[in-house]
Amino acid sequence: MHSPTQLHVYTPDSELRRPRRLWRQMRRDLWASRELALRLAVRDIRAQYRQAALGFAWALILPLANTVTWIFLSASKLITVSTTVLPYPVFVFVGTLLWSIFMEAFTSPLQQTSAAKGMLAKINFPPEALIISGVYQTLFNAAIKFGILLLILPWLGINLGFGLLLAPLGLLAIVLMGTTLGLLVTPVGLLYGDVGRAMPLLLQFLMYLTPVVFPLPESGWGGTVMRLNPLTPLILTGRDWLTGQSPEFLGAFVGVNILAAGLLLVVWLVYRLAMPILIERMSA
Amino acid sequence: MGETLIRVEGVSKRFCRSLKRSLLYGLQDIGSELWGRSHEGNGELRRGEFWALKDVSFELNAGEALGLVGANGAGKTTLLRIICGLIKPDTGFVKVSGRVAPLIALGAGFNPILTGKENIYVNMSILGLSKQEIDERFDEVVEFAEIGDAIDAPVQTYSSGMAARLGFACAIYTAPDILLVDEVLAVGDMRFRVKCFHRLGELRKQGTSLILVSHDQNAILTACNSAVYLSGGNLIASGEPHLVMSQYEADLFGRKHAKYSTGALFLPEKSQEESLGLDLTYLCFKDNPGKIIGSPICGKSTNFCIGYKTHRPINNVGIIILIYSKSGGEETILRLSSFSDGVTFNLMPERQEIELQMPYFCLKPGMYSMKVLIGEPGHVFLDAVEAFEFRVDESINMSQCIFYQPRTWQKLSDE
Repeated sequence: MHSPTQLHVYTPDSELRRPRRLWRQMRRDLWASRELALRLAVRDIRAQYRQAALGFAWALILPLANTVTWIFLSASKLITVSTTVLPYPVFVFVGTLLWSIFMEAFTSPLQQTSAAKGMLAKINFPPEALIISGVYQTLFNAAIKFGILLLILPWLGINLGFGLLLAPLGLLAIVLMGTTLGLLVTPVGLLYGDVGRAMPLLLQFLMYLTPVVFPLPESGWGGTVMRLNPLTPLILTGRDWLTGQSPEFLGAFVGVNILAAGLLLVVWLVYRLAMPILIERMSA
Repeated sequence: MGETLIRVEGVSKRFCRSLKRSLLYGLQDIGSELWGRSHEGNGELRRGEFWALKDVSFELNAGEALGLVGANGAGKTTLLRIICGLIKPDTGFVKVSGRVAPLIALGAGFNPILTGKENIYVNMSILGLSKQEIDERFDEVVEFAEIGDAIDAPVQTYSSGMAARLGFACAIYTAPDILLVDEVLAVGDMRFRVKCFHRLGELRKQGTSLILVSHDQNAILTACNSAVYLSGGNLIASGEPHLVMSQYEADLFGRKHAKYSTGALFLPEKSQEESLGLDLTYLCFKDNPGKIIGSPICGKSTNFCIGYKTHRPINNVGIIILIYSKSGGEETILRLSSFSDGVTFNLMPERQEIELQMPYFCLKPGMYSMKVLIGEPGHVFLDAVEAFEFRVDESINMSQCIFYQPRTWQKLSDE
């Protein structure tokens, strides 16, 4: 079952000194972690739902609460939202649902790795498994949300088009971007608790820079900032596909995804290289 | 057999006690790792750092068991973590051929809400087994852990002993080439511990190598064929387990006191006013040929010599010797009284020596302190030495013995 001679040499040298070996190890560990990741994900999902009375409803509660808030703010004219092509409640609901998927994907790498500190400090296993396990969990929850949307949207009078077939791609893109950004901050986040604390704040702020609860402004510097935000094409395209509209920013969507995929490779490398140094600072 | 599985060569590791600074150094280290620079830096300590390990080298061959001893904070766990590949050494290198399973993390990744069965699968996956491999071993694990029907109950309903047993069973059935055992055998009851040692013995017969960290000297002496003694990050001794252990014990208990006697204890001459007429002048051990020795050897013929000086003739002088163990709570373990033995001496004004002959010195190796009283019957003591400290050396393996039993072995013929 194991290769007869698994030789490991641990030296003070940077792994980058031997890039080819590093790349081989990274691929090997990624492959080796597929089963473990699934098992960890199943463990966490089971534990989560077994100890919660509301179970799957939690996937909906946050976006629903957000939607109600914004419908109230908009209906009471406390905040004027420019008209949207979609009915505003649908616009907000779909938007916040997509955003909740992004949030989960973004916070997951740090959260998963922090939660596994005890294991990491003692057992040598591919840390990639933690990240992938987080992705599985996010995808699982996203699938539930997607299923709920499929039930609710026709009931709200939205005609689902062929674009719906592409909607899973939109969800995947959001998870990809969230994971990449989340993994980017994980090494520092594991050292300094400040990062974990700042995350909700950052996400809140980021949400207002993304057309989640407002449509994209046609003009003004707010509009410019929003257009520069790489999350904008992801959210917009995802929403368009889900609600049977033709996406406006398809080019940007593709571009952002290529960028995210490239960045993911880099942050994966950083995460990996940083791991022994981070483990040094976790108590055994 | 004989093939080197683990080679540790000149390994050092720096740690920083201040948390804030350690985090900062962490950032720095990540930076230099990404920059492609070696972890070694300039080979010197940065501010606030200390050597958790310094220039440690040893080897472990296939099928061998190595005991790792040292006080808390000596660097044992750090060394194991480097061998596991969890953290990088700052100097030197570690070569490991074969699969290493740590028995350090019993039940790491156990989720209390999930059942024992689910947790076995998770735990063994973390330790690197595929589902198929776990399926094959599942029954053995459950049987070894003695969990029984509770296997389908959530782990949070288990007693701590049950959880530890399950963790141990998971780790031990991963069939590694090298097993790292860090103090885990302290869990569980006596019977389970014996079972664990039995299982470790079986694994060793199958060719699994072992590194055992323990404070239990018997565990090291019975299970290991070599030992390494670390202190303050330095390798102090390595080699034969009982030699390493006796040095470890000597340091452990000897550090608080000054040097143990390396020869005779000569007592300062008393003035006429101080003296009660009989003064002790020296104490020493002699071996059988009569040579003064610093430390008596367990099991050997030994004489204890008491030098005295009298100013007047005194009759019926006897001696009481009380021996305390320094490693065993300082209780009296031996009382030798010449009065009880019905032996007294009539002393003339002279300098002479009284000799206590012991055909077999039966105290086990260790550190001792002796109190010597000399006087007349009825607790009329004329002089005394409060504490004559000495070490008993070993000649044969005395693990699992509390005293030396003089013996001979013989085969009886049938006639």
